[in-house]
Amino acid sequence: MGIGTWIITLSVELASIHPTRLELLRLRRRKAMAEGIIDILKKDLDALTVTLFDFVKEIPSLRSQIQESLREAYDLFIEAKMITGSRKIEEISLVAQPIDFDINVGTKSGVLGISLPTFQLAQEAAHILEPRFSILDTPAKLDESVLKTKIALSHIIKLAEIEASMREILDVMAVKKRQINRIQYKILPQLDAAIRYIELILEETERQDALRVRVLQRKRKERALKST
Amino acid sequence: MSAWKYKRVMPKVIVAKLRLIEPNDIVELAGRRPRDVHSMLAKTSYQAEISEIPVKQLSSISLENALLKNFMRTCEEIMNHSPKSISFLLSTILMKFEANNVKAILRAKEAELSVDEAMKYIVPVGRLDEARCLKILENSKSVSDVVELLSELEYGPVLKEALRGHEETRLLLPLAVALDKYVYGKIWRAAGKLRGLDKKIAGTVIGIEIDSMNIKVILRCRAMGINEDQIRRYIIPVSEVFGEKELEDAIRAEDIKSSIASLLEAAKLALARDYRYVLTDLLREYEASQSLSQLELVLDRGLLKTSLRMLKRYTLFFNIGLILAFLNLKWFEVKNLRAVIRGVEDKVPSDKIRKLLVLPE
Repeated sequence: MGIGTWIITLSVELASIHPTRLELLRLRRRKAMAEGIIDILKKDLDALTVTLFDFVKEIPSLRSQIQESLREAYDLFIEAKMITGSRKIEEISLVAQPIDFDINVGTKSGVLGISLPTFQLAQEAAHILEPRFSILDTPAKLDESVLKTKIALSHIIKLAEIEASMREILDVMAVKKRQINRIQYKILPQLDAAIRYIELILEETERQDALRVRVLQRKRKERALKST
Repeated sequence: MSAWKYKRVMPKVIVAKLRLIEPNDIVELAGRRPRDVHSMLAKTSYQAEISEIPVKQLSSISLENALLKNFMRTCEEIMNHSPKSISFLLSTILMKFEANNVKAILRAKEAELSVDEAMKYIVPVGRLDEARCLKILENSKSVSDVVELLSELEYGPVLKEALRGHEETRLLLPLAVALDKYVYGKIWRAAGKLRGLDKKIAGTVIGIEIDSMNIKVILRCRAMGINEDQIRRYIIPVSEVFGEKELEDAIRAEDIKSSIASLLEAAKLALARDYRYVLTDLLREYEASQSLSQLELVLDRGLLKTSLRMLKRYTLFFNIGLILAFLNLKWFEVKNLRAVIRGVEDKVPSDKIRKLLVLPE
């Protein structure tokens, strides 16, 4: 039975309560269980928060790595234009083969067994059949620029993976928070009210029983006096 | 070899060499603003081509074109004053630039550019002047049409043979490779037709130029992970020093360092000391930086050093040495100026620009 179903079961209507000691014991046990569930949910929330902050810490360094790689790629591209001439590079780019890349999307088990997404750049064929552009007409700087762009791409994919994982974790945290709030602000007050109600009834019943016993004792005394 | 046959060309070359910009001046330009560079160039031998550019169209690209036009004009002037055999060699050297125009036309056609857009990539030279290039672009709808229209020139049959490769792969690379192999093969054969000292000097300088290209191809393809069969297709198979076996050893070597080492060994065995100098510098640079772009710079500098060394080793005048040295100096001056112009426009730090310059020592 999931936490959600359990929470629904915990909710009680006062009208349906039997004001007996047994019911009181059951309600007290339920209350203890609810408080235990809140503890567990809070610990889960803490673990998710720690993981979330671990991801958050990675983001600035990844962003700066992306900026660094892209800056280096553009600098190398400009140097390639300086060596070969802007027109030549432009001319070659007219018919250069675009980089064909694919991303493999998978999942991995993360904190608390949550399925977190994984993105991986699909590996190119081990041996490239053709260069993407004429080697005799272009400088090696262009190859270096392409390499830096690919490095930037891998960092971008890693960043996208982290952001998708964070979204998953935030969704789960929202659910857990809602569950905690439901128990804390709806279930527990209902249980407290029911327990108080039964305790009051049982007290009243006890008082009335005590009164009845005193009345009976008094009448017995009076009968005993009358008979003597 | 008769010194007399150089009587017309030598003065031309000496004057043109004197008009080259001092390397220190080019280095200093690297730290200047774009308009300072423009105004400085307007006072040099490039003045005629730069003055043709309308002021509003003055930019790094229009200046690049002006530099190239000046280089072609200079080559043609020297060619027209040279003895017959040397004039023939120079005309084949100019075919490199004609081939560039052919490649530009093919790429523009493949990318379906308009005629005006395509003409931006063409620098008219030799037989591929503006009128012919326009005619080819206007009368062709596809790459095959361009190849057909080039039948009047020798490029047509060369490209026709390679057209199948283009149709199979849908890439222009086979056509570009076929053009390059044809042109450099023709340059090599033209150098082989010279005699005596001219043949020796041209064989060394042009041999190093072609072998530098082969070395660049091998090293870059290996770094990219391209398979051996493909690498062989891009090699220009003309060399006095590196035969098929030596190139094969370099292609199959374990890593880039081993490739360079095997070529150095081949140069030592062939007693090709100019090759040895270049390859020793190459190996040293690879051990220091392991950067392919730095290796390319070393090869370019090696070519320039070799052509200048010919001037010291043999007589300065009355052989092809001075002509080839001047052409290389002029070509690298154009490349250096192009790098400076582009670099100052993109605000590249001056130390980075200087590292890319190929300067005589």
